[in-house]
Amino acid sequence: MPVAVGPYGQAQPGCFDRVKMGFMMGFAVGMAAGAMFGTFSCLRIGMRGRELMGGVGKTMMQSGGTFGTFMSIGMGIRC
Amino acid sequence: MEEYAREPCPWRIVDDCGGAFTMGAIGGGIFQSVKGFRNSPAGINHRLRGSMTAIKTRAPQLGGSFAVWGGLFSTIDCSLVQLRGKEDPWNSITSGAMTGAILAARNGPVAMLGSAAMGGILLALIEGAGILLTRFASSQFPTGPQFAEEPAPPMPAPSFGDYRQYQ
Repeated sequence: MPVAVGPYGQAQPGCFDRVKMGFMMGFAVGMAAGAMFGTFSCLRIGMRGRELMGGVGKTMMQSGGTFGTFMSIGMGIRC
Repeated sequence: MEEYAREPCPWRIVDDCGGAFTMGAIGGGIFQSVKGFRNSPAGINHRLRGSMTAIKTRAPQLGGSFAVWGGLFSTIDCSLVQLRGKEDPWNSITSGAMTGAILAARNGPVAMLGSAAMGGILLALIEGAGILLTRFASSQFPTGPQFAEEPAPPMPAPSFGDYRQYQ
């Protein structure tokens, strides 16, 4: 793969790098979103204490994974 | 991401709509294949067929709802750009919230409020992540472009709220 050089003389990230970066960013955003929405929904169904921590963690991982996958696809289809 | 050139405004709507459809269809294909595989009766043939059926029924649906989200989102985004005369993260956040509200309009005001909050929060998170990322990238390369004001591509954003909402 030829290394494209940007207008500022710095190497542009390659395709796989962008997909990876999209995944990381999506994962971070999904974790944050999952922390918020997961806390609300777990509190609403009556989880407290350790159970709440587990529930929120699970929601965070799930939404991080989903979001990261979609974000990396979104990056992948336009490079 | 710095070289991510967004389309000029009217065409951005088409671009986002199609991109969102593709993304939803591919992502829906991946997720639904796993789901269909797991929900089928035992036996590899049944499982493969169930996975195929799930993809064929659900992936285009998911792509369609992504496309609606993306199209409406960038329509509102472009309208806000025209109205306010500037492009900043608030445009994306507002249009995410409005898209959520409009798409939940048939479910009543409470659902509209919830959906709008969800869309706004998601878009705010994505914009924040984009700003942090560009700031980090530009601090890594001090001679690099200073793009801290540039909003992140909001396109992948719409997906998640929609994904949950129509499940």
